Amino acid sequence: MKHILVIDDAATVRLYHRNILEKAGYSVDEAINGIEALEKSLVKSYDLYIVDVNMPKLDGYGFLKEFRRQEDVVQSPAIMVTTESGNHDKILGYAAGANLYMTKPTKPNELLSYVRLLLGEVAE
Amino acid sequence: MAFIKKQTSQVINEDERKTPRDFNGLCVELNHEDSKVRRWAVRDLAEQLNASSVLVTRLEHEDDASVRTAILNALAKLGDTIAMNGLVACLRSEEAALRNEAIEILKELPYEVEPIIDGLLTDADSDVRIFAVNILESLRHQHVEQWLIGVIEKDPHVNVCSTALDLLSEVGSELAIPAIEKLKARFPDEPYVCFSADLALKRIEEGSR
Repeated sequence: MKHILVIDDAATVRLYHRNILEKAGYSVDEAINGIEALEKSLVKSYDLYIVDVNMPKLDGYGFLKEFRRQEDVVQSPAIMVTTESGNHDKILGYAAGANLYMTKPTKPNELLSYVRLLLGEVAE
Repeated sequence: MAFIKKQTSQVINEDERKTPRDFNGLCVELNHEDSKVRRWAVRDLAEQLNASSVLVTRLEHEDDASVRTAILNALAKLGDTIAMNGLVACLRSEEAALRNEAIEILKELPYEVEPIIDGLLTDADSDVRIFAVNILESLRHQHVEQWLIGVIEKDPHVNVCSTALDLLSEVGSELAIPAIEKLKARFPDEPYVCFSADLALKRIEEGSR
């Protein structure tokens, strides 16, 4: 089973993503900000990260930049999910180390197709 | 006999205030190349009633995170119109860390935020409206629920409404139920809105039992 870490300060968003992902057969953990996500990523290896941008303490860009610097941690792919749709934010997301960028509100099918794509589960 | 000046040893603390602590001296130090000197200047300017303007100007090009945090805290302490405008301007920053820091500080200023929140909640920029809802998250003010109901009743942007709805599911009462049901009907094709509306309604009903 693949393990996914959902990082978002909004409890409802975390629960929404958890429901979608668990129904599709993934194991899900949650983190409420970038600091907690960094701590969790050091003790458990995740196959994928779903990362919000605006969070207190450490935002999504900060998390990804720091995470990508960790040489002894498996560098799994990350989807950045945010309310901001501006091109500038996308560029920042990719520069920080995101593999894909999604604009909220996410649709279940769209989220799952991106997850499967990054996990290499898309049929040839 | 020549006088020999007595040598004294003096330990100079790096953070020691080195120039007079009057307003003009602090303004000079606010632009010093050493971030520690700038940080001390900010901390002392927070005690000066007319300091908001120079602090806001410095904030616009300050790149040291600790000095920036000190400026934001100083503006919160000063709390006048110029200081509040400076904090609000951070919500339009392209830097997420600065925006989030400003949001966290504005959450702690319920009575200073009250006169400006309506303007923020109806700002032309939907991102600013979302950040305004974020400010309401832990704002200890009696009108929070009413402000959130107003958002989900009127705001045309799904993400602004979703953010307000998330918060209403935590702080909402039975007063919010009609607005939540209308919101669900307004965005029937948005799975997230339907999910969070159902969750909010369930929590409110459970809370009222």
